[in-house]
Formats: sequence, C-alpha cells, structure tokens
Amino acid sequence: MNAQVLHKRSFIANVLIRFGFVLVIFALFVFFAAWNPLFLQAENLTNIVEASAILMILALAMTLIIATGGIDLSIGIALDFGAAAAVVAMKSYDMAWPGAVCAGIIAGSVVGIFNAILVVGLRISPFLATLSTFFIGSSVQRIFTNGGGPISHRRMPDEFRQIAQGDTLGIPNEVLVALLLILVYLIVLEWSVWGRQVHAMGMQRSAAIVAGIKTNRNLIIAFIFASATCAVAGLIAAANIRMFTPLSGFSYLLDAIAATFIGAALHPRGRPNVLGTVVAVLFLTMVANGLNLMGINFNTKDALSGIILISALALAVAQRKASEAMLLGSRRR
Amino acid sequence: MSLETLSRRSSTSLSAAIGAIPLILFVGLLIYFGLNAPNFLTVTNLKLVLVQSLPVMLICIGLSAVVMAGGDDVVSGGIDLSIPATTVLCAGIMASLLSAESTGLFVASIVALLAALLVGGMNALLVTRLSMTPLLTTLAMFVAVVGVNNVVTQRKRINVDHDAINAIREPFFFGIPLGLILVALITLIAFHFLHRTKWGLNLQAAGGSRDAASISGLNVNRLFGQSFTVASVMGFVCSYFVLARGAGSSPGVEDNLMVEMVLATFLGAAFSPRRVVTMWGAALGAVLVVAISVGFKSMGVNVFWTGLIKGSLIVVVVATAALSQRLN
Repeated sequence: MNAQVLHKRSFIANVLIRFGFVLVIFALFVFFAAWNPLFLQAENLTNIVEASAILMILALAMTLIIATGGIDLSIGIALDFGAAAAVVAMKSYDMAWPGAVCAGIIAGSVVGIFNAILVVGLRISPFLATLSTFFIGSSVQRIFTNGGGPISHRRMPDEFRQIAQGDTLGIPNEVLVALLLILVYLIVLEWSVWGRQVHAMGMQRSAAIVAGIKTNRNLIIAFIFASATCAVAGLIAAANIRMFTPLSGFSYLLDAIAATFIGAALHPRGRPNVLGTVVAVLFLTMVANGLNLMGINFNTKDALSGIILISALALAVAQRKASEAMLLGSRRR
Repeated sequence: MSLETLSRRSSTSLSAAIGAIPLILFVGLLIYFGLNAPNFLTVTNLKLVLVQSLPVMLICIGLSAVVMAGGDDVVSGGIDLSIPATTVLCAGIMASLLSAESTGLFVASIVALLAALLVGGMNALLVTRLSMTPLLTTLAMFVAVVGVNNVVTQRKRINVDHDAINAIREPFFFGIPLGLILVALITLIAFHFLHRTKWGLNLQAAGGSRDAASISGLNVNRLFGQSFTVASVMGFVCSYFVLARGAGSSPGVEDNLMVEMVLATFLGAAFSPRRVVTMWGAALGAVLVVAISVGFKSMGVNVFWTGLIKGSLIVVVVATAALSQRLN
C-alpha cells in the first residue's frame, strides 16, 4: 500500500481507531437515554457507580493476577470467605467491627495463600490451581453452611453496615473504598518498581528471571494481595444485605475477567492496566443498568448482555490491532 | 556404565513412578468403591458409568482437538470452553423444534448443526483473525450461547420422546446400548483423523510449536480455526446424547458438562507418556471422572463434599505430572 492512500483516509480512520471504543460507549449511552429517560437522571447515574463498586474491586484483583501472566478463577471464593468470616465474627464471637473487618481480610488471604502454595510450591498452572481452589472453596462453604443456606445477621453493628450503606461528604462509602483501592492499585501496579517487575514477569517470565526478578516471591505477594482485596468486596457485600450468602462471588468472575481483557485491549501495548479496567467495569455496569431499564424479558436480557460482552471484547481487540498496524505503517513511511 | 547415566536412569524411573501415581490413585479408588459399595463393581453399574460418560467423552474429543492445535498452555494456548454451551443450544433447538410436531428430526438436526457451526466459526474468527485469547473468547461465548439457549427454551424443561433419540440409550447388540457403539465408532474415526492423517499431524505440529510449524510452511491459523469447527461439531453430536440421557433438554446441564470436560481432558494429559493432551487420555479421563462421581454417590458420600474431592483430585494429578516432568 502506498503512503498516499494511507494519508488520505487518515483523519477519519485516526478518530475511529483511537476512540472507537469510547464512541461505542457513548452511542450505547445515548441509546439507553433515548429508550428510557430515567437512565440519564442523576440518581440513576449514581446508582451505576455505586453498583459497580464490588465488580470494580474484584476486577482490580484480577488485573493484578493477569498482569503476572496468570489467571485467578477463585476471586469469588475469596469474596465469600471474607464475607463469611466477618459475619460469623460479629454474630458468633461478638467482635467489634474492626475485628470483623480484620477477620474477613485474613480469611480472604487464606485463599490467596492456598493459591500461592499450589502455583509456586507445587508448580501447577494458575488456571488449574485456582480452578481447584474454586472447587474446594465452594465445597467448604457448602459443608460449613450445611448445604448453602445464608447466614443472616440482622443486628449487625451499625458501623459495619456503614461500609456499604453510609455516605461520607455525600459520596457513598463503598464508592470511596473502591476509589481508595483504585489509587492503591495504581501505585502498586503502575507506578512502583514492584509493579514494573510484575509486568515484566507477565510479558516474559524467563527474561524476568534472568534479569534477577524474584518471580516466585512476587507471585506469592500478588496472590495474597489480590485475595485480600477480594475479601474487601466481600465485606461490602455482607454489609449491604446484612448476611452472608454462600457461593455468591462466582457471579462476578466472568465480568471481572472480561473487564481486565477489555481494559488491556484499550492499552496501547495491550497490557492489563488499572485505568483500562476501571473504564471497562463502568462500561459493563452501565450496560447491565441500561438493559434493566429497557424492561425486557429476563432471558432476553441475559442473551443480550452476553452478546454485547463478546462484541465489546472483539471491538476493543480489533481497535488495538488497527492502531498497532497504523503505528507500523507510519513508521515505515 | 558411568555413575551419571546410572543416576539419570534412577531419576527417570523415579519420575515414571511419580507419573503413575494418578493412575494408581484412580484404580485404588475404584477398588475401594468396589469393596465398600457392593453394587459398584457389577456389570450393570459399570455399563451405567460408561453410558453416563458418553456425552463428556464426545466433547472431550472436541476439546482435545483444540488443545492439540493451539498448544496446552491453558491461558495462552488452545482451549474451547464454549463446547458445552453449543451442546445445550443444539439440544434446546432440537427439543423445541421436535416438540412443535411439524418439524422432523432431519430439519431440527440441520438447524442445530448450523447453529453449532456458527458458534465454532465465530470462535475461529475471533481467535485467528483478531488474535483474541481462546480462554477469554470461548468463556464469553459460553455465556452468550447459554443466554441464547435460555431465550430459545425460556429456561424450561422440554421433553423429547423421539424413537431415533431413544434408540441411543436402548440395547442394540448383545445388550450393549447403541450409544456406546456409536461413541466407540466416533472415537475411532476421530483417532484416525487426529493421530493418523497428515492433517492431524499438522494440527499437532501447530500446537507443539507455533513458530516451528509456521516456518515449515503450515498455515497455523487455518488449522487452529478448523479445530474450533471440529469442536463445535462434536458439541452438536453430543447434544443427541444429552437429549437421550435426559429424555429432553433441561436447563443447567452446561455447568456440570463444562467442569467434567475440563477435568477429564487435563486429567487425561497426566496419563500420556509425554504429559500432553491426547484423545485417548481425554476419553479415559472422561470415564474415570464419571466413575468417581458415581462411586462416591453409591457410597452415600454427602454431595457437599464432591467439589472438595474433585478439586483435590485435580491438585494431586496435576502436581504429580509437574513433579515427574521436572525429575525427568
């Protein structure tokens, strides 16, 4: 192809390639707003942000693990363990809310420690290791709750409930927690030396080892840190409905993986990254909310959100490929 | 003989011994069931185990084709998690068309096959043209296809009572069910194509080393794309067996199928000498996985524990495979 042609189509192509995904988000936004005026009301927009908090936190954890080059299918288990430990600590042991929070985070970390033993100690691939953690963790919850019944705690301390139901300076607390964790993950994964080491491991493990990076140590830290993060999401879930529902974390798994990969596709070099994940989570929550407001049949909504998910992924990846090709083309010129 | 070869030989035999642990474990479990659940080791029950494992075996063949063509790294290599969804979609389409009375099995089959090919083609397109990760693509496809199936069936159970489908579970030859004979035939045909033809060897070469295969002139992407089509066709074939097993299409079958498919295929790798996914390994894995679940059920083990047992089995099998490979 000669340079002339490339140059001629460049303006519109440029815009489409750079902002294709953003344009689609905007188009869907307008579509939902046109379908149901309620969508655009401030209250609904706050709803979207609030509803995204749990998925946001889980997706951050997933982003970290995928950045190391692995995957974590057990994030839902860490969420469940966190919620269960906090509720039980308050209900059966009369712990104050800080104790319950600690208990939850420790219980979540146990999942990460178990993953780390399997992946680093026994050298099982992360997919199969965390899949077995998922099976074992689900079974443990069934045994513990005698078949999967919820553990409710209606007289939960008020301070604990505030985690999900209170406001600070007009901002819902769960949104504040999510924002805080976004900041923490930005520092840990994007701005710190440790984060660079993690990205290096994820891109080429053998090169990272040769460069002297302690890959095993970093993997252990990443798994534990990620599962502790998921436990925080569990605390929010438990505070929100004042109970622990076994096996409730699983429903977020696919969305968290999808958000990470959509976010990675938005990155110029295709890496999993915090900001991309944040945009993707907001996009997914917006679609779920918009489809709800369209008031269509439950089954149709399910099918539509699946199809939108896979189209969004394809589009994000296509956009990155096109922009890579364009970069190569301009360099060749 | 020098000391070095001696020590290498002993480490090889140690590695072989460790590699045999999963098989020993499974045989040991089966014997244990036989001793403790009196009905387990009867001909009737073993036949039941075989018949129960037929759907899993079929989709395992499909999955092993994809893993062979894409390499066995689960995250970056070849995997197709959407096969169970294709199966339930085909079963759903056939069940609702058959219950409409006006359409025959032939037309229903054609529609279902087209749907399966559409899923397989989409997978192939997204993975080879857009170079999307197969794990993610097929997981998202699983959700989308299950969603479409829920629209087709409205999440209701649809009974199917069709002679041709019932025949699959009826005895055909000396009391052997027709389905068993069909799956044996399909397995042999698949074995021939995947392990004995030029195409099959090319497929394995593509998965073994993508770079080496494309340097030697193979169209790696085309082979990989074809494997997704094979997988979706196996998903379609499996739907007849799911319909026969359940006397219709019922919601929620896909989750269990997916778990058993992944478990069986990657367990199967532990039984192959080079620890790679093979068709025989996958088929053997399918029988063992079903035998274990039936065994625990007939021993009266609480169903809450099955996840724990399955998870621990994966850990033991995969960890011993990794250990024996390291020693080798």
